[in-house]
Amino acid sequence: MDQIENRLTKLALNGDQQAFAEIVELYKDKIYHLGYRMLSNRHEAEDVVQETFLRVFKSLDRFDPNQKFSTWIYRIATNLCIDRLRKRKATYSLDADMNDQEGLDGYSLIPSDNRTPESELMISETKQIIYDAIESLPAKYKSVMILRYLQDLSLQEISDVLGMPVTTIKTRVHRGRDFLRKKLEPKL
Amino acid sequence: MECKTAVSLMHDYLDDDLSKEQRLMLKAHLLSCPNCRMDFKELEQTDMMLYSLPHNIPSASYELTERIMNTIPQRKKQKVWVKWMKIHPAATAAAVFLIIMLFSAINIFNQDNQLVIHGNDLDEVVINGNTVIIPEGTTIAGDLTVENGKAEVFGDVQGNLTVIDGSVYKASTAHISGEVKSVDRALDWIWYKISNVFSEVVYR
Ligand SMILES: [Zn+2]
Repeated sequence: MDQIENRLTKLALNGDQQAFAEIVELYKDKIYHLGYRMLSNRHEAEDVVQETFLRVFKSLDRFDPNQKFSTWIYRIATNLCIDRLRKRKATYSLDADMNDQEGLDGYSLIPSDNRTPESELMISETKQIIYDAIESLPAKYKSVMILRYLQDLSLQEISDVLGMPVTTIKTRVHRGRDFLRKKLEPKL
Repeated sequence: MECKTAVSLMHDYLDDDLSKEQRLMLKAHLLSCPNCRMDFKELEQTDMMLYSLPHNIPSASYELTERIMNTIPQRKKQKVWVKWMKIHPAATAAAVFLIIMLFSAINIFNQDNQLVIHGNDLDEVVINGNTVIIPEGTTIAGDLTVENGKAEVFGDVQGNLTVIDGSVYKASTAHISGEVKSVDRALDWIWYKISNVFSEVVYR
């Protein structure tokens, strides 16, 4: 897997657009999924995917082949998502007082989504409850939990992506898990 | 063991990060403490529920790759040049000479680098310096041509979008019913001239 990516990166760096398109195909769904869970909005998720690949393309020549390509692209995408959440928070903090839901932050004020009815049907009620619980997590726990459980990254990988010590990631997973346990308790 | 320590060990257990010794300690505590037993059960179930979530639903829209490929700067043209120069060093020298000769001609193009917009329906177009913006929610009827500037599309264009000597940004909200075309006039022109000259050389 990583060899393919390194080869593709090299080709793309030489201006091979087809190679870059292959990189996009390999990762766009993963990044989209990450963005969608982080931001709960399709448009924003797609914008994040687009921005991520644009940044990847622009900094291909600075990619260190000793690094894992996936770690690199996840880092770019996660940072873009966190930036967007921060900006939202800044915009919506004025309304935060009105927000009696969960009291965690202003995020739940954002109109949650434009999920299509078909996709809505495929998600069972329980899953929806879990997704809602994840959505209500504060950003710093949210990113860690999504990378851990929805992207299957190891604690070490998350630490590489976020550039934080593993111990910090562990603490966040623990708190995040505990938070979700309390949220999901009635369902357990 | 204190319950607080036990809870921390439970999380380590779920992270697959416990030594055998710690595991036995945790087990001993769980056997003697119903509260922690309850907590542990709930944490384990939470963990399982999270793992049970589907991993790649929903997927990104089909045309996203295409949109991404349209946004990235086109370097291919330059790279073709570089490869070509490596293969034909002598011809490259000739080409360099030719380029110097053509330089004045390019300057004619560059002198005229003022932003120009053509279109039937320009009422809702926003112009900001060298950037032409089609804001979200607006609709441009018919074709739109931007010369010497950047086009940023957030709304609808019901026709072709042509950018001459500039760049295009297409937001996720953008909708362009026709073709998006980017023309690098100076480069195309030189390329045309040079390939003409060389085909002449070859056939002489
Ligand atoms: Zn206990």
